[in-house]
Order: sequence, then C-alpha cells, then structure tokens
Amino acid sequence: MENLNIGILSKRKTMMAGKLKSCLKNKGFNISIYTLENLVINETLLNHDFYILKSKSLFFLYAGFFLEAKNKVVIPKPQISFIQKNRIQSHFLMRRIGLLTPEIYLGTQETLKNQLDPNEYPFILKPIMGSGSKGVKVINSHEEINSENNAITYLEKYIQGIHYNVYFIDEKICTLIKPPLANEHVDMKKIETPNDVKELIFKWKGYFKGNLLFGHLDIVREESSGNLYVVDPGSFPEFTNWKCDSSPVESICNLIIDNYRKTKDN
Amino acid sequence: MKKVGIIIDKYHLKYKVTEFLKYLRSKADVSLYIEEEFLLNDKKLDFDENIFFLKAKGDLVLALAKLIEEETSIPVINSYKGSWLAINRFLNSVYLQKAGIPIPDFSLNPIGIPSTYHDYIIKNIIDQKNYKFIPIVHKENGQLKVADQRALDEVDKTDPRYNYLYYQKFIKSKFEYKIYGIGEEVYFSKQLPILVNPNKMETRKEIEEIPELKEYCYKAMEVMNLELASLDFLKSKDQFYLTDINCTPNFNYLKNGHQIVANFLLKRAKT
Repeated sequence: MENLNIGILSKRKTMMAGKLKSCLKNKGFNISIYTLENLVINETLLNHDFYILKSKSLFFLYAGFFLEAKNKVVIPKPQISFIQKNRIQSHFLMRRIGLLTPEIYLGTQETLKNQLDPNEYPFILKPIMGSGSKGVKVINSHEEINSENNAITYLEKYIQGIHYNVYFIDEKICTLIKPPLANEHVDMKKIETPNDVKELIFKWKGYFKGNLLFGHLDIVREESSGNLYVVDPGSFPEFTNWKCDSSPVESICNLIIDNYRKTKDN
Repeated sequence: MKKVGIIIDKYHLKYKVTEFLKYLRSKADVSLYIEEEFLLNDKKLDFDENIFFLKAKGDLVLALAKLIEEETSIPVINSYKGSWLAINRFLNSVYLQKAGIPIPDFSLNPIGIPSTYHDYIIKNIIDQKNYKFIPIVHKENGQLKVADQRALDEVDKTDPRYNYLYYQKFIKSKFEYKIYGIGEEVYFSKQLPILVNPNKMETRKEIEEIPELKEYCYKAMEVMNLELASLDFLKSKDQFYLTDINCTPNFNYLKNGHQIVANFLLKRAKT
C-alpha cells in the first residue's frame, strides 16, 4: 500500500477530525491535523499528498483554494464547501437546481425596520458567511433586529413545519427529526427517509456530479403545504446523530481514499 | 433611451460619482439602488434596466448583483464573481498566480507566527470597506516591515478564527504603475509609491502603453471576470509585480474617466 501523507484542515483535533486521523492511521497513512494554531498558508503545506477539508471556516477554505491552485487534491473540493458556507451562494444555487428555499431579505437594520411588513414576522436571522446554528436566531418583531453599525442583516422567512436533519454518505441517507434551529448534536429521532426527501437529496448530490461524497441538509416540511424547503446545507458534519447502518467514520475514510485514488488516476 | 441601474452605497454616491451621474443622466435613464436604503427581497423584484453597474462592494450590493445575474439576462458590471474575488485579497492572489501573472510572494499567518520574508507588507485580507490605505512603517536592522492599519484593525481580537495576517513580500520599486482596464481599453499612468509620497496624485502622470502590463491587465480581468478594474504594479529588476486589483476604481483620477466609463456601460447595455 502506498504511504500517503495526508493533511486534515480542521478547527479541532478531536471529534470527527480525530476519528478520521485514527481511521486513516490504522490504514497505514501519515496524518497531520492543521488547526488555527499551526496553519500557515504557504508553500510549506505542499509536502502532503492530499488534504481533507474538514472545516469550512474562512481560513481553512483559503488553505483549500491555495492547495488546489498548487495542484494538490483537496476533499471535499473547496468550491463546494464555499458555496455551502456562503448563504447567498447556496440560496441561489438551490433555486437554480429547482429546490425550494425560504424567501430572503437583506438590508440595514433601519431598512428592515422601516420596510418589512410587521405581519411577515417571524424571520430567521443568519450570518451571511456561516453554517449550522451559530449566530442563527428567531426574530419575532422589529425590536429584535439589532446589528452593529447598521450593518447588512440577512433574514429568512421562518417556515413552520417539521424539521429534518438529513445526512448522506455516498448512497446512504439517514433522516432524523430535529427541534427547530437546534444544532447537529442535540438528540434526534431517526425516521424512515420519506421518498420526497430522498429525491431532494439525489437532486442536490446530482448537481455536483459525483463530487459531493457526503454531507447533510437541514430541511423543513412546511406544515401548510407539505412542501420541502432546504434551510441549511452542510459539507462536512460531525455525523453525531448518524443512527443508521455502518460507521460513518469508516465509510467516510474509505470514500476519501477511493476519491483521492480516482482523482490521481484521472 | 437605455436604462442604467447603479448599485451604490452612500459614500460613493456622495463623493465619487457626481460628474459621472451628471453625464450618464444626459445619455440614459438612471435608477439608483442605494445599499443603506434598499430592501432586497429575492421574490419581489422586477428589473427593466439594460445594464447594472456596481459602484460599491458591500454585502447587499454583492447579493443584489448575484440575484440579478441568476434571475435575469441583464449584464452586471462588475460581476458578482469578479467583485467577490477582488475584495478577497488572498483568493485573488491565488487565482492570479495560478494564471501566471507575477505577484509578490504571499502567505497567511496566524498572529504570533511571523513572516519568513525579509521585507514585507501586511495587507488587509478582505478589502470591502470604504477607507484608505494607512501605512505603518517600521525599519529594524535593515529589515522593512510595513503594515496597513486596515489589516491590523481587521484582526478580531476576540475571535480566533480571524487572527490571521496577510503578508506580501515587499517589492522595492521606483514607481507604482496604475493601470485602468475599461472593457478592451487600457490606460497607463505611474506615480511615486505611496510610501515615498502619500499624496499619490501629486506625482501621477500618464505614460505610454507598456505591452507587458497590458497583457497582464487583460489576463487578470479575464481570470477574475472583471470588465472594469484598476491594477497596481511595482517593478523590481525589470520584473513587474501585480500588487493590488480593485473592482470599483476611482475613475475620476483618469482624464475624462466619468465619460469613458459611462460610454462603456452604454455600449455594453442589453438592447
């Protein structure tokens, strides 16, 4: 077996990054994890065979783009992670693919207060560059909109309904019911994946033509219409609530190695 | 009469486009979308403009550009992609270098891990706000360290995700070359570097075309999907280096710049 040197770009050395390191190490590979403590983005990174982009925080994305420009394989592809990080990009991409997304509003605090119809509340406030539940909150009235220096605020129409956290790894889909706006780590109930959710996931994955190996989507089934709205994509979740067959870490480990080999062969 | 949509912020509207708007209004219908006053709702927009022009680079401006590109066939100058790349210094450095355009060596270092370059300049990573380059210069033991105050302000003292600095190898150059690319037209000037004379316009003068810079200008604009840009070059040992690229250049510094840009937009407008 080839002796690969693999770098992992991750916010932390524990959790999924740590588990991936162990898994890959057990397969005989050399693994280094780069966190914000030791990540210097320059030519010194080029001494690894390829990289795993665990985090989509800005500086890890920068590292991913830098490495890709230097012809290093980065999995998942930085552009795919970036699209999912930037809410403007992901919103319009989903619309282009034909997926439903909540109506969005952008404006300064003053504009939103003056021009939003009070009957339209509640909204969900989200950071433009963000993922998951960090910085996300429900806004029930004008008074709750507060931004520093009258900065541009991003709001989404709140969709009332059932919230799904849907993981996918390769062809496997694992669907859970989650409390609204909860992060990935709260306890969730596994359900049989509804057919329309399956179709939605295949549509999303299909757009990336085999380059989306795994990930998750937060989806809401609107109570009034039964329609599915995608409210948040995730490129590399922790899979904390994976309650389906097989180990997500082992599956992801194998997928990444297979993907690297295929990329090198091409 | 063609209709031109200007997507702008209050700063640019107040200080940068008076002559431009006066001229443009004599040739076209002009609608203004002001970042601080406009409510963007992705489901309730109906555009009848023939072209849009971005004269700002805030989040709402970029989002509106993206929306127009996605939902209509109206040209947007500059594009969402071009504007986004232009404000992301590190990303555009990566793409420009990949395209073969000489740029000074660069790195992103966490605070506390110093640059390995002997002489360097610290620049802001995200160039999105409306403020000027304020250099802080240190000379120690023959080593030159320059920092842009904006870069130091950008570091978030409370959030470790943003404790990074962009280092660019310092290029010692007699002149700074300022190139404007407006569509296919390229305009050349040079001035003393700002570190030598902070009043850049005092020494700026038009110069003859430099074919090498023209090529770099075309290539950079193509790579970054820009149709209007200003580019700064430095020259050391007969080699030019692209040090900055700006997607909302101040065309008032160019002779008849407001007319050149307005005429370019009218030519590019959808019929």
